[in-house]
Amino acid sequence: MGCSRLLLGAALLGSLGFAASAGHDWATPAAVFRSLAGDDSLQSQLLITWRYPRILAAALVGALLGLGGAIFQGVFRNPLAEPYLLGSSGGAAVGATIALLMPMGLPSQWLLAGLSFLGAWGATWLVLLVGGWRRGADAAHLLLAGVAIAAMLGAVRSFMMLALSDDTMNLQAVLSWTLGGIQTPSWWGLLLLGGLTVVALAAVMTLAHGLDLLGLGDEQAHAFGLQPERFVRWAVLIASAVVAVAVAWGGLVAFVGLIAPHVARWRCGPRHRRLLPESAAIGAILVVLCDGLARSVLPPAEIPLGLITAVFGGPFFLFVLARRRRP
Amino acid sequence: MTQVCVNSLRVAVPGKTLLDDLNLEFSPGQLVGLIGPNGAGKTTLIKTLAGFQPAGTGSVTWNGRDIRQWTARERAAVCGYLPQHYVFAWDYNVRDLIELGAARVAANEHSIADAVRAHELEALVERRWSTLSGGERARCLLASVMVAAPALLLVDEPGASLDIRHRIDLLARLRATAAKATVIVVMHDLELAARYCDRLVLLANGRIAQDAPSAEVIAPGALDATFGVRFQRVAIRPGFDAMLGIPPS
Repeated sequence: MGCSRLLLGAALLGSLGFAASAGHDWATPAAVFRSLAGDDSLQSQLLITWRYPRILAAALVGALLGLGGAIFQGVFRNPLAEPYLLGSSGGAAVGATIALLMPMGLPSQWLLAGLSFLGAWGATWLVLLVGGWRRGADAAHLLLAGVAIAAMLGAVRSFMMLALSDDTMNLQAVLSWTLGGIQTPSWWGLLLLGGLTVVALAAVMTLAHGLDLLGLGDEQAHAFGLQPERFVRWAVLIASAVVAVAVAWGGLVAFVGLIAPHVARWRCGPRHRRLLPESAAIGAILVVLCDGLARSVLPPAEIPLGLITAVFGGPFFLFVLARRRRP
Repeated sequence: MTQVCVNSLRVAVPGKTLLDDLNLEFSPGQLVGLIGPNGAGKTTLIKTLAGFQPAGTGSVTWNGRDIRQWTARERAAVCGYLPQHYVFAWDYNVRDLIELGAARVAANEHSIADAVRAHELEALVERRWSTLSGGERARCLLASVMVAAPALLLVDEPGASLDIRHRIDLLARLRATAAKATVIVVMHDLELAARYCDRLVLLANGRIAQDAPSAEVIAPGALDATFGVRFQRVAIRPGFDAMLGIPPS
């Protein structure tokens, strides 16, 4: 597969078109065009007020998940590494659960993003330290440490939800958030998410060359001018921020961070200056499509987004695992 | 041109001294081989010379400046390093690897094309690492290091995974490089070390057992005690003989 931007752009447009139509009330392409042309019918108003901001939020969350996955795979030097599997998303979810269940008088979106970041950062460091990164542990050790810590963080989150929720806090709402799902944001919230995504992409792109060098192994990376330990510290900080913003806006969404960099690598090869933006675009396409399905498969109910990504992502993970075992 | 000096170098890990009181000097124009039995400290020395392994006591200087004062980026611009083992996380192609090597000195497309040509990689530039043979990989790695024209080249066991023809090819390239750079190579093959290196440093138990021109080091009786085998010179054809190691009976 070539690294065709045209194909990727067409896929992104197609996914946005599908998502604009999809819902428990399907909109025809003509209705979508009418709404974009400034029509003020009730259907157009509903599309512009409710559906389009959500689709854009889905695209941005997907882009962040794709970026987060690409950095994690680069840092852990393993194509099976993913923020969800490694406990980073789980750490962010613990932070976000605290923010949701223990209001501290700060603006909720900032508190959510801030505590998610601390959770993601802490959890990723815990995985690196327990997995023996400083002692030169192999990727399998780090992944196993990640899986164990993700499980423990899941238990902590469940306990907090049971212990801290009360009548004023809808447990069902928190639970559905942890299953992953894009809520329709306000235009202000969407602007904030867009701004954070642009900053994240710019920060992540500064890691591209270092991630390329890290892929050569610590010794060769060092020989080519990188200080691997210092670089990994910096990369984990940025990756945690990226994951935290994605979790704060989209809940726990599994496997997008696994699939997007993989597909990007198939299309464009392993160099990160191409891989990172490509992963962001593919992540956006995946989440926009899955969110469209989440809204339209079982009307009037909505399927959690994380459930749909897991349905596709689980077999994909097994497929990657099987490919790696092939001689 | 880089002058490398090792002064009273001692490197230790808990319970073991890896290098003990080494004093060495390396200048451009010579291919220097580091030889010695397993565990003698060859790889530790080459990694310490490269700045990967911290010097315990004593110092290593490049052009009179302690390598602890060089940043990783400064070191990369001056020194090329070929490791003994390399496992890449991703399946880079030949061009990727040469570009990554070139980035350490911001070498331009012209230098990359030169490196590709000099290492006969024209037909392989788009090929993935996983599809290359051992000899092609060695040429590709050497090109990725040499594209930055390093003044100091450190090589750890260049022939470990190569057949004899490719080992000879690689050593010939290193020898040509030594004309304009300081080149230090860890070698296991004493025969090739004798043939291609100008000077050999024999290490034993972390100390310098010999440091002399190759012909003096690779000589009957000179290596027997260090390696625990008896070496005998065997005439292959007029003007070409080889050292044969015979295990003790």
